[in-house]
Amino acid sequence: MKKIIVLFLLLLNSMTLLSGCWNQREMTDLAFIVAMGIDKGKNKNFDVSFQIVNPGNVSAGQNGGGQGLPIAVYKSSGDTLTEAARNATKKISRQLYYSHINVLVISEELAKEGVLNIIDACERDPGFRTTTEIVIAKDTSAEEIVSTLTILDKLPVLKITKELQSTEAMLGENLKVNVDDFVSSMISKGKNPALNGYKVMGKQSEARKASNLTVSTTEAYLKADGLAIFNKGRLVGWITQDKARGVVWVLGKVKSTDINLDWKGKKNALNVVPIRSKTKVSAKIINGHPVINVTIKEESWISEINTAINIDDPRVINQIQKKMEKTIKRQIIASIKEAQSLKCDVFGFGEKVHIANPKYWKKVQNNWDEHFANAKVIVEVKSYNRRAGVRRNPFWDALK
Amino acid sequence: MSILSKLFKKQQKSKPDNYRQQQDPEKPEELPIMRDYHENISRIKEELGKSADVCIREFSLKQYKGFALYIDGLANNRMISDFFMESLLKKQEELQSDSFQNLIDKATSLGNIKIIKTWNEVYDGMLSGNTILFIDGYNKAIDVETKGWEKRAIAEPSTQLSIRGPKDSFIETLRTNTALIRRRIKSPNLWLESMKIGSVTQTDVAIMYIKGIVNEKVVTEVKQRLNRINIDSILESGYIEQLIEDQTWTTFPTIYHTERPDVVTSQLLEGRVAIFVDGTPFVLTAPAVFIQFFQAPDDYYSRFDISTGIRLLRIMSFFIALIGPSLYIAVTTFHQEMIPTAMAIAIAAQRENVPFPAFIEAVIMEVTFEILREAGLRLPRSVGQAVSIVGALVIGQAAVQAGFVSPVMVIVVALTAIANFSTPSFSMAIAARLLRFIIMLLATFLGFYGIMLAIMFMTIHLCSLRSFGVPYMSPIAPFSFSEQQDVLVRFPIWAFKNRPPLISKGNIKRTGQAQKPGPPKPNGNVANGKEKGDQS
Repeated sequence: MKKIIVLFLLLLNSMTLLSGCWNQREMTDLAFIVAMGIDKGKNKNFDVSFQIVNPGNVSAGQNGGGQGLPIAVYKSSGDTLTEAARNATKKISRQLYYSHINVLVISEELAKEGVLNIIDACERDPGFRTTTEIVIAKDTSAEEIVSTLTILDKLPVLKITKELQSTEAMLGENLKVNVDDFVSSMISKGKNPALNGYKVMGKQSEARKASNLTVSTTEAYLKADGLAIFNKGRLVGWITQDKARGVVWVLGKVKSTDINLDWKGKKNALNVVPIRSKTKVSAKIINGHPVINVTIKEESWISEINTAINIDDPRVINQIQKKMEKTIKRQIIASIKEAQSLKCDVFGFGEKVHIANPKYWKKVQNNWDEHFANAKVIVEVKSYNRRAGVRRNPFWDALK
Repeated sequence: MSILSKLFKKQQKSKPDNYRQQQDPEKPEELPIMRDYHENISRIKEELGKSADVCIREFSLKQYKGFALYIDGLANNRMISDFFMESLLKKQEELQSDSFQNLIDKATSLGNIKIIKTWNEVYDGMLSGNTILFIDGYNKAIDVETKGWEKRAIAEPSTQLSIRGPKDSFIETLRTNTALIRRRIKSPNLWLESMKIGSVTQTDVAIMYIKGIVNEKVVTEVKQRLNRINIDSILESGYIEQLIEDQTWTTFPTIYHTERPDVVTSQLLEGRVAIFVDGTPFVLTAPAVFIQFFQAPDDYYSRFDISTGIRLLRIMSFFIALIGPSLYIAVTTFHQEMIPTAMAIAIAAQRENVPFPAFIEAVIMEVTFEILREAGLRLPRSVGQAVSIVGALVIGQAAVQAGFVSPVMVIVVALTAIANFSTPSFSMAIAARLLRFIIMLLATFLGFYGIMLAIMFMTIHLCSLRSFGVPYMSPIAPFSFSEQQDVLVRFPIWAFKNRPPLISKGNIKRTGQAQKPGPPKPNGNVANGKEKGDQS
């Protein structure tokens, strides 16, 4: 009896030892994909390009950071994303590893036709993170974006993610949108998704050459540009610059930005920087028509004064606040007008209407785009000036 | 298992061979001392094999002849000559007819004297440093306590260091050790019982406890387990520990050992039993619980907030020591998605040229470190420095430069090693050291799942352990809210209301009412009154 038990225990032990190493992958056998570009294919549906890290050339190890290029880009094609990914294994020595994809780039051309056939693969694969950000390659191919080398950040993909983060925080013209956000606003009837656009500036032919890294003003570089507006999974238009900021502002994502103000006939005499901002959106149904209220409360400081002005006077500050409110309001109305002309509710006003009056929403939800285009939007801005930097009245006073 | 028990059975059958077993301990009269003086001498010479350190000092007092027997080196020579032989010979005039009683009454100025009648008592006395006095014509002898051998001075503890707290530690002499405790607990309730264990070594073993605080059941249990021991020798308290512990098949210590008198004192005051063994500075205390091995004496000497922080740090480092390398293996071979991208790339870059899989790499480094550590421990102190230099060069530099291991691995090993040293109790630290390799193996096969399995099994095992009837994980499992005062968080001393109820019985109260200190109340206070007086 005892012998049987001992034998059983031995067998039990060997089970763990002989079962192999489930899912075990050494790091040196993995190809870390950090960015994936999807273009419309020539022969098949998709051309997929993988930006793979060459770890030895990125990290400063004993070799003093590596001599070669930090990334390698491989291309493959397929009728579905999975097919393309599996085809890629013919070209890449290591196992493709998707968990570290930071950015998914979709070409404008493909986005105009629709991205619906891409998204499910990204959501379903357990390795692929739904926190991956999506950007649209504007005026260029996704492959071009993925294979452009950058000078400040060794990994080009980090340039994109960090840049989006910092422009969202400092300028407010771009948005961080990941797969999750995109899908949830895509399936919502009361909201349309917006994605960031990315461009390659300069000579595209130089973008992927090592020589692009040896000059201080690179021949070709990546630049965030505008918001791509989607409707039913298709790119319908772009909103750029100040208007893009208006969109981000209404969405309540602007943390800080800068606004130029004119003062007593001098153009751009003041620059005021909002430091905190809160956006409130509410909806009402009046006479069977939706009325949207957008209230923005922001606090700011004066970061530049290029004219003689007495900022010690509270009335002056009041005037500046008033001016500020006017300027912001004008910009936001402009971007709402732009969105209304595209018939795309990027702000999620529909969701607010839904909350305000579900019955009404049921009637209009299938035709919300039209209702949105004609909806009345009231914008109210409240501005508070908190401080004026480390100097009181500007030197312009003394020059007078 | 069956093979082992067979082995044990065989050993039990073999006959013990030593002189004391040949006689029935119940009837010591069987080997009485002879009346005849010469017979006694020849018997001693025969039985002790003419050992050079056995001194037989013959003398004659009036008509009586006699001899003193002692062992040179064990007995204090000065004591014998000044207080015993000298006074004996000086006072021989006063000796009356019944010289035996006279000798006891007058002849010696020394304290501890008893009359013995059997040879066993003779040997026991002589071998523990006493002088035995034989008088011709009497079938009994006098045992005079003249113990006095060379002993080490009380020095600073070498294994359990503390920043604040007493700097004395136990030494190899049992009596000195018990005195160190007596000096700290001036209470008649501090009881000490001694016995001899080891059929050949006859090692003095003493158990100490505070009557009224200790759980009597534990005392009887300890005594029972000690009495059960039948072994030829006890060379260190480790022998006792291994012979009386509750569970042999565990890496975790279920009996605490320390060389610090202050620690033993506090354990006694919590109702534990201390076991002193002659010949070693390490004193055992039982029952022991898991958390006790993370409590350092400093914890109680410094303020509670600091001690709490440091204790949490210690527990954290225990886990680092336990699962540090396993986490590295699991993360780099199974769960690369768990690491932030930049770090993943950094690790991948370092591993790029390493020819081994992560597990082999980790094992190489861990084993190298263990070898270094062991070598550093064993080598003569003068060579020890060389080892650490070679070790640092080999592990830190050459292995990395040669590309055999990645620098991250060196960091992991170094962190693990240092974390391991921060456990105050060596016996607990070594448990983590051993388990680490098992967990590493599991992490290699199953990743985080394996680590979790190992931790689960470890927890279950820990919860199954008991030390002298006390659950090992108490007061965490079984959880007792009132006993959390000294587990993860050390409460202020005034909040230590009770002794641990699972360990101590009887006098449970520890502090009186309203022990929380604070500034004096504004009115009716002496200091305030004085201030007012000064001002006026």
